[in-house]
Amino acid sequence: MRLCSVFCHSSFPEYFSSGMGEFKVHRVRFFNYVPSGIRCVAYNNQSNRLAVSRTDGTVEIYNLSANYFQEKFFPGHESRATEALCWAKGQRLFSGGLNGEIIEYDLQALNIKYAMDAFGGPIWSMAVSPCGSQLLVGCEDGSVKLFQITPDKIQFERNFDRQKSRILSLSWHPSGTHIAAGSIDYISVFDVKSGSAVHKMLVDRQYMGVSKRKCIIWGVAFLSDGTVISVDSAGKVQFWDSATGTLVKNHLIANADVQSIAVSDQEDSFVVGTAEGTVFHFQLVSVTSNSSEKQWVRTKPFQHHTHDVRAVAHSPTALISGGTDTHLVIRPLMEKVEVKNYDAALRKITFPHRRLISCSKKRHLLLFQFAHHLELWRLGSTVATGKNGDTLPLSKDADHLLHLKTKGPENIICSCISPCGSWIAYSTTSRFFLYRLNYEHDNISLQRVSKMPAFLRSALQILFSEDSTKLFVASNQGSLHIIRLLEGSFKHLHTFQPQSGTVESMCLLAVSPDGNWLAASGTSAGVHVYNIKHLKLHCTVPAYNFPVTALAIAPSTNNLVIAHSDQQVFEYSIPDKQYTEWSRTIQKQGFHYLWLQRDTPITHISFHPKRPMHILLHDAYMFCIIDKSLPLPNDKTLLYNPLPPTNESDVIRRRTAHAFKISKIYKPLLFMDLLDERTLVAVERPLDDIIAQLPPPIKKKKFGT
Amino acid sequence: MVQLRPRASRVPPSAMVDEGQPASEEEEEAEHGLLLGQPSSGAAAEPLEEDDEEGDDEFDDEAPEELTFASAQAEAREEERRVRESVRRDKTLLKEKRKRREELFIEQKKRKLLPDNILEKLTAAGQTNIKKSSGKLKEANLQKENEDCDKGSDSKKAKVQKVQSVGQNKSYLALRLKDQDLRDSRQQAAKAFIQNSLYGPGTNRTTVNKFLSLENKRLPVKKAAAQFLNNAWGTQKKQNAKRYKRDLFPS
Repeated sequence: MRLCSVFCHSSFPEYFSSGMGEFKVHRVRFFNYVPSGIRCVAYNNQSNRLAVSRTDGTVEIYNLSANYFQEKFFPGHESRATEALCWAKGQRLFSGGLNGEIIEYDLQALNIKYAMDAFGGPIWSMAVSPCGSQLLVGCEDGSVKLFQITPDKIQFERNFDRQKSRILSLSWHPSGTHIAAGSIDYISVFDVKSGSAVHKMLVDRQYMGVSKRKCIIWGVAFLSDGTVISVDSAGKVQFWDSATGTLVKNHLIANADVQSIAVSDQEDSFVVGTAEGTVFHFQLVSVTSNSSEKQWVRTKPFQHHTHDVRAVAHSPTALISGGTDTHLVIRPLMEKVEVKNYDAALRKITFPHRRLISCSKKRHLLLFQFAHHLELWRLGSTVATGKNGDTLPLSKDADHLLHLKTKGPENIICSCISPCGSWIAYSTTSRFFLYRLNYEHDNISLQRVSKMPAFLRSALQILFSEDSTKLFVASNQGSLHIIRLLEGSFKHLHTFQPQSGTVESMCLLAVSPDGNWLAASGTSAGVHVYNIKHLKLHCTVPAYNFPVTALAIAPSTNNLVIAHSDQQVFEYSIPDKQYTEWSRTIQKQGFHYLWLQRDTPITHISFHPKRPMHILLHDAYMFCIIDKSLPLPNDKTLLYNPLPPTNESDVIRRRTAHAFKISKIYKPLLFMDLLDERTLVAVERPLDDIIAQLPPPIKKKKFGT
Repeated sequence: MVQLRPRASRVPPSAMVDEGQPASEEEEEAEHGLLLGQPSSGAAAEPLEEDDEEGDDEFDDEAPEELTFASAQAEAREEERRVRESVRRDKTLLKEKRKRREELFIEQKKRKLLPDNILEKLTAAGQTNIKKSSGKLKEANLQKENEDCDKGSDSKKAKVQKVQSVGQNKSYLALRLKDQDLRDSRQQAAKAFIQNSLYGPGTNRTTVNKFLSLENKRLPVKKAAAQFLNNAWGTQKKQNAKRYKRDLFPS
C-alpha cells in the first residue's frame, strides 16, 4: 500500500450542457492505461471468430458477425508469452508460448483446459493440419513436433528431423503431405510421412542492404501448387519452388523486417505485415487481360499502424492486422464485399470492450484496473462556477490514494469498488481478494479480508450492491455467489447454480438500486433475472442474436436496460416480465441509421436519480442521454446535435429535439458516470499518451522534416 | 631362404602395433580390431613355419643360426602374444572394476532417492494435476508451493526434490527446481533473442519522441514534445554533484 499525493494530469471540472440540464464534468486523464501489443491473430472461418493474443499473454475472442464484439477473454500470465495461436476443428483454440507449453482454452467455461509441456524449449510456431487432426509445433531447440489432436486432449506422436536452430514459422501444404518450416537463414521442407527434410532452401542474408545480421524467416506459407512463400527480417517476400528447392521470385518490400504473412483460403491473395507498420496486399492476377497465366503482384499497401505489424490474418472478405501499437485493424476488401454498406468500413479496435474503471459515487473515488495493479484516486474539487464550456480551476487536486499490486504472475480479471468506497474486490484466475478500506481524515488504511471461502477462487465479474452490504460474484463455473459484507468480515448467503446442461459463464452483472433484483448475462444466452429477497430465478429475458455489452437496472421502475453489440437497446420491465412500451416503440420504429453505424459497443449504462425518464450510456466515442419522453428520431432528423439550441427559437428547438442527446466532446472515452445530480465524471485516454509509452518504432525518413 | 624375406617384412607391422601403447579406450578398440585381424595372418604364416622346421630337421648341423632364428622368432611371437594377452587382461580387469564402481554409484544414487512408490505417486500426481482445470484451489496452493520452492532454492537442500505431501490430497505439486531453472533460462534466452532481433543494434529504430515530433514538425502550430523532459541528460554531472555534496557535507 502506498499513500501518494502526486498526480500527473489533473482532473478538469468543466461545464457541459447537453440540452438536458447542465453538468459539472470531471475530465479525468490520469488513467495511465496502455493496452499490450498484439502478438498473434488467428481467424476461424467456421464460426467467423477471431482470436487475438497479446504480449502479456491475454487471449481475446472477437465475434466478427456480432459487430466485431470482444465476447470472451482469457487473462494473461507473466510467464506465458504467447508466440503462436491456432484454431483446430472449428471450435478448439490452442496456443504455444515461450514457457514451452501448449495450452488449450475452454471457450465455454472461459478457462484453460490444460497446459502441456512440449519438451522442446520455448515454442515459436504452431500449425494445425488442413484436416484438423494434427498439430505441429516448432521449438527453440530446432525440433518440429507432431501432436495428434484427440477429442479431449493432444498426444505427442513424433519428432521430425531436428534442425540446427529455432523453428520460427510453420506451414502445412494443403494436402497435408509436406510442411515448410522457417528457421534462421534457411527454410526446410519436410515430408510428413518420413519426417525427414526434403529440401533446405538457404535465404540470402542481405538483399540490397549492407546488413550482416542473420536472416530470420518470420513467416512461411505453403500453397497447393507447391510454392512456398517466405517473409524475412531482410524485408523480402520470396517465392520458392518446393519441388526443386529453388528461388522463383523475390520482392523487396521494406527496409525493415517483414514479420507476418497470411494467405486466403482460395490462395488468390495474401497479406504481409512489416515492421514499418505497412500491410501489403498481394494478389494473383493475369499477366495480360485474357491469358490464363497468372502472376503474384503486389497490389495495395495499407498504412494503418504506426508500429510493427506482428500478426496478420486473411478472412474471406477482409485483411486483419495487429501489432505493437495495440490496434486491431480490420480492413474489408472492397472487391469482396457484396453490399457496400457500413460493414465495408475500416474497423480499428484499441480498447477492451469491458469496463476497467469503477467508481464510488459517495466518496468521489475512481478505481483503475491495470494488468497487475489497481490504482485508487480521489477526484479533485472546485468551488468556482462558470458557464457552459468553461474550464474551472481546481481548488483541490486529484489524489492518488492507493497503489495495490497483485501477488503472483496472473493478470487481474476484474475489479470493483463499492459505492460507499470502503470495499475493494478483485480477482485473478486463481485467487479472489477482498479488502476493507478505512478512512481517517486524509489517511486511509487497507485491511485484507482473509479466509475467503474455497468456492471464491476466480471471478469473471464482481459487483457491490448499492448500499454496499452485499457482494455479487460471477464465477467461471457459471454460478453466482451472494455474500453479505459485515464490518471486516463476510457471510456467504446463497449461490445460484447455473441451469443444468449449461456451462456458460456469466460475464455481466447488474443489481437494482433497491437491492431486490440481480441481472446476469452470459456471452450468448439470454439475461437471467434473480430475485435476491426470495433467492430464486425470477425470469429470463428472451435470448437475442447478439451478445450483451452492458446491463443496468433503473432505480424506481426496476426496468432492465440491455445494450447489445449490434447497438440495439432494449428496456425490459422486471416486475411485469415484459418489454416496456418505450422499448416496443423504438423496436417498431427502429434506431437511427447513424446510431446503428457506431463501431464501439456501449460499455456502461447509468441513470439519473431525479429524472426517471433519462438513460445515460456511453461508448468509446460518444456519451448519450436518452430522454424517453421526447419523440424518437427518424432517419431524416439530425442525430448528432453538436450545439445546444440556445440561440434558436423555442419552436425550432422543439421541432428538432429528439430523444437522443449525444455529446462527442470526450474521446476516447473509457468510462462515464453520474456522481450526483449535477456532476459527471468522464475518464479519457488520449491515443498520443498511449503511443508515447510504446516501444520505439522504425525510423522513417519524411520529406521536409 | 627366399621365403624368409617376405616373412621378415611381415614382422615389423605387428611389432609396430605392439609398440604403440594405446592411451584411450578408443585406441584400445582399434587395437582389438587389429588383434582380431592377427590370427588370420598368423594362420597364413604357420604352414610356412612348419615347412621351415622340416627343412631344419633335415639339415641339423648346417644352419643352426637359422634354426635358432626361426625358433627365436616363434618364441618372440609367443612372448609378444603373452604380453599382449596380459595387457588385454589388465584392461578387461580395469574395465570390470570401473563397471563395478559405476554400478555402485548408481546404487548409491538410488539409495539417496526417494522410494519407488513415492516416485510413482509423484508422477501420477503430476499428470492428474495437469489434467485438472486451472481455476481450482489446487492451483492456488500450487502457486504457493511454487513460491515456496523459489524461496527454498537458495538452500543447498533444494537439489533434492521437495515433497511435502503426496497422494490422496494432491494439494501440492512437486517440481524439480533444476528443470524450472532450465526452463526459465531458456525462456530468458528466447526473450533476449526476440528483443535483439526486433530492437537490437542494426534494426534502425527511432525513439518515440522523435517519431511523434515528425508530425509536429509539419504542423502549422508547433506543440511541445510528447516527452518534454529527458531525464537521461547530464546523468554523469548529476552523479558527480551528488558525490561532491556527500563528500562535502557527510551526514
